[in-house]
Amino acid sequence: MMASLILNIVVILFLPFIFIGVINKTKAFWAGRKGASIIQPLYDFVRLVKKGQVISKTTSFIFPIAPTITLASLLFAGLLTPIVHHRAVFGFEGDFILFAYILALGKFFSIVGAMDTGSSFEGMGASREAGFSTLVEPAFFIIMASLVAITGNYSFESVSLMLHKTADLGYLIIVLSGITIFIMILVEGCRVPVDDPNTHLELTMIHEVMVLDNSGIDLAFISYGAGLRMVILSSLIANMISSSVFVYVVVLFILATLIGTIESSFARLRMTHVFEFVFVLCSISLIVLSLTMLFLYGDMGSL
Amino acid sequence: MIHYYLGSLIILAGGLFSLFLPEKNRAWFATLSMGVGAVLLLIPSVNVLMVGNSLADRICFPAPIGEVRLLIDPLAAFFVVVISVMSFLCLLYSIGYLKSYREQKKSTASHLFFLNTLIFSMVLLVTVQNALFFLIVWEIMSLSSFFLVIFESEKKEVMSAGVHYFIIMHVSVLFIMAGFILLANKTGSFDLSTFKTVLETNKDLSGLVFMLFFIGFGIKAGFVPFHIWLPQAHPAAPSHVSAIMSGVMIKMGIYGILRTILFIGVPSLMISYFVLVISIISALFGVLYAVAQYDIKKLLAYSSIENIGIIGIGIGVGMLGLAYHNDLVTVLGFAGAILHILNHSIFKELLFFGAGAVYYRTHTRNMEKLGGLIKIMPYTAFFFLIGSIAISGLPPLNGFISELLIYLGMLHSFEFHQPVALITLALGAGSLALVGSLALFCFTKVFSIVFLGLPRDEKIATMNKGDVPVEMIIPMLILVLFSAAIGLFPQYALYFLRNAVQSFTGHQQIVLVSGKYMDIFRNISLCCLGFVLLIALIYVIKSILIRNKNVYKYKTWACGYDAVNNRMQYTASSYAGPFLSFLTPFFIKKFNIRKPKETFPKEAKFEMRIYDIIEFYLVDPIVKTNKKFLALFNWIQSGSTQQYILYGLIFLIIGLLVAMRMG
Repeated sequence: MMASLILNIVVILFLPFIFIGVINKTKAFWAGRKGASIIQPLYDFVRLVKKGQVISKTTSFIFPIAPTITLASLLFAGLLTPIVHHRAVFGFEGDFILFAYILALGKFFSIVGAMDTGSSFEGMGASREAGFSTLVEPAFFIIMASLVAITGNYSFESVSLMLHKTADLGYLIIVLSGITIFIMILVEGCRVPVDDPNTHLELTMIHEVMVLDNSGIDLAFISYGAGLRMVILSSLIANMISSSVFVYVVVLFILATLIGTIESSFARLRMTHVFEFVFVLCSISLIVLSLTMLFLYGDMGSL
Repeated sequence: MIHYYLGSLIILAGGLFSLFLPEKNRAWFATLSMGVGAVLLLIPSVNVLMVGNSLADRICFPAPIGEVRLLIDPLAAFFVVVISVMSFLCLLYSIGYLKSYREQKKSTASHLFFLNTLIFSMVLLVTVQNALFFLIVWEIMSLSSFFLVIFESEKKEVMSAGVHYFIIMHVSVLFIMAGFILLANKTGSFDLSTFKTVLETNKDLSGLVFMLFFIGFGIKAGFVPFHIWLPQAHPAAPSHVSAIMSGVMIKMGIYGILRTILFIGVPSLMISYFVLVISIISALFGVLYAVAQYDIKKLLAYSSIENIGIIGIGIGVGMLGLAYHNDLVTVLGFAGAILHILNHSIFKELLFFGAGAVYYRTHTRNMEKLGGLIKIMPYTAFFFLIGSIAISGLPPLNGFISELLIYLGMLHSFEFHQPVALITLALGAGSLALVGSLALFCFTKVFSIVFLGLPRDEKIATMNKGDVPVEMIIPMLILVLFSAAIGLFPQYALYFLRNAVQSFTGHQQIVLVSGKYMDIFRNISLCCLGFVLLIALIYVIKSILIRNKNVYKYKTWACGYDAVNNRMQYTASSYAGPFLSFLTPFFIKKFNIRKPKETFPKEAKFEMRIYDIIEFYLVDPIVKTNKKFLALFNWIQSGSTQQYILYGLIFLIIGLLVAMRMG
């Protein structure tokens, strides 16, 4: 019990670096390079923390505090996420609502922090980030509502625990929910085909352009946060599949390589198509909801 | 009861006496009387809320009204608390806000009188148990608020918005009247308690009456498609009036709906789903249009429609709980709705006060001209930020708690095991999430465009530093504290509201504060506190790490471009632009563009207006045909007094003849 909680915290603190490291290694592999070591993101983090900062004269107290609050929101969301053995550090009825809203608070501050610089580039990124999240959140809630309806449980932990006891259609629902959350990783974690984490200076950027003015420790927080976000969402997928630590590690490894592979084999979508891509999330969530209806009431005939 | 009478009369008297005081003391006097009145009103109402009993009294009026019962039950007591506290803050704020009008030598006497009358009428409205008297008080409320809206009646758009408001309020009262007449016909009495017995037994009648009341009260509350008065009246009214109207007065419509539900007892499924769906539409519609606005007060008005929608979703969930006989869902739904009433009045007043402070200093409501105000007025900026977070429903502030209650109600309604309930409420949860994220979109836009970056207008760029007067700061500070208190300690807020919520389940067994549900909110409270601590911890770690590092101040990085100016910043329209273009079918946009044509371009112009789609397609055509029809009778109004006297005479003769025939 205690051990798994400590393990959770260790995972939250260190896995994001390795996760990004694996993605980069995969990309290097497809490009035919040797690539940097898997813990290179950790070195980058330390290097950035050691640096000084350049802060824009336009900014107010919002700008320096925004990355801190965003990081805190992600860490706290990590504490609410079931990671190993379906256990979250904090788990109670309705915890996934707090989870979603605390992540939204982080988003609020990353947007406001970007707007604080008065830069039109960052305004552009902020506007897009805010726009896409309007499509992600409803999908997440419809999926969670479906899972709650199937399992009759109201917290992350018990939902994922009960999910394994389902049969037939239940597996399909798990797969589709997994796909939805995977797309959420691509959108929220700013990966290809929504966003490209490697290029900063293109007008088609979303998340990367929001952090143009951040430097030093703030930038370290932001890049660690991006990794953490992916780890949290991946943990949700892993917990839908199984509760064993081994499966968890394997699933996260597969997801990281999958993200790396997608990034090596696809180009980023044109901005006008990104909305359509994100909209897929909502469509899948509606399919999940219809399957849930079938699962629960399919044999009733009263439909 | 004596406290109640004394309190409400002191409020009324304060307004009346302020008429005779010298100009500069008026607002102080009105506020003082409101403060005393609020304390007196709080004594009985807080007592009723905590204990759960009701206070009742009766007054006898001359013939047509007859005996009027007054009743402070937990629901009424809750509204009395909201009205008195929020109105007091409003008056406190008005002391500072009216200063600029006093400098223009504009008399505030009648304004303060009507403000206190409005508060008095609202306090009375929630306790009256007599239909006829209810309508009279309702009318006093509408009229006094009309006079408050047209405070700056010398401006043409203010007057037109005021008249608009006046007319729509009377359409609303028509429906309420129709409902009362139907009921009074059945029972032969105007007392509301007799209505209850009729409504509980006669299901067909109760459906019809509920619809009449829902439309009547819904117009006041601002449910879509009856919302069109809100975006017109709020920008026209002074900010403290917008605050009291949006924070308190539109809740009187919600009060009416809640009271009707109490009378009906168990609503039919049809009606419950109807309320839920209309509310979801209102919430989505309100927030979508809020995103599109560039007038800060109009934006807040649309956001009020959104929040009324959220309250309505809570009510709808609660009604479904009643209809399916599930106490837990009933309690969660109504608790969410009632807490959101309180929450919305807190953060909406806060935001209107903030918008008023911006207007007070800059004299503009157009966001495209503002920017960088965080450096000029840091306190207001901070309070507005808190208000924006709260209204987006984010933890650790109060907006999150009421939305959480509604979500939990929705999720528990899957226990009905009804396919319809599952699909409606799962989609409802998705819609509420969509509303939440759109609110985030909307309020990051307002806050960042108005307060962050650099001023987009030269006048504001050269403005002196300095925040608004302290009388305007204090009410905002108090509201921020309220918001944080409810957000961080929701279990006490729910404990406070338990009796008001419990009156909907129809029996005394208290679900809300029993073990399990309190535990959830204790957990939420712990999490929110923990989250705040975590922020502090990371902040401390960061400060230690950068203690000896160099921090340079430099220009914002513009990707190598060096001649950046303030006008190049992202504006409110450009922030919302890409998203709105994605939703083009929901808006009517009219452009007025003049592109630069000459070789050496001289002038260029770009103007975009966004029209309310319901106003454009639903209301305007009705008004137009109505106008055409009424124009046929233009000849009656000749303008000559003699002719009018003749009309009167003819009418009298006809009246006499009819009376003679009947006799």
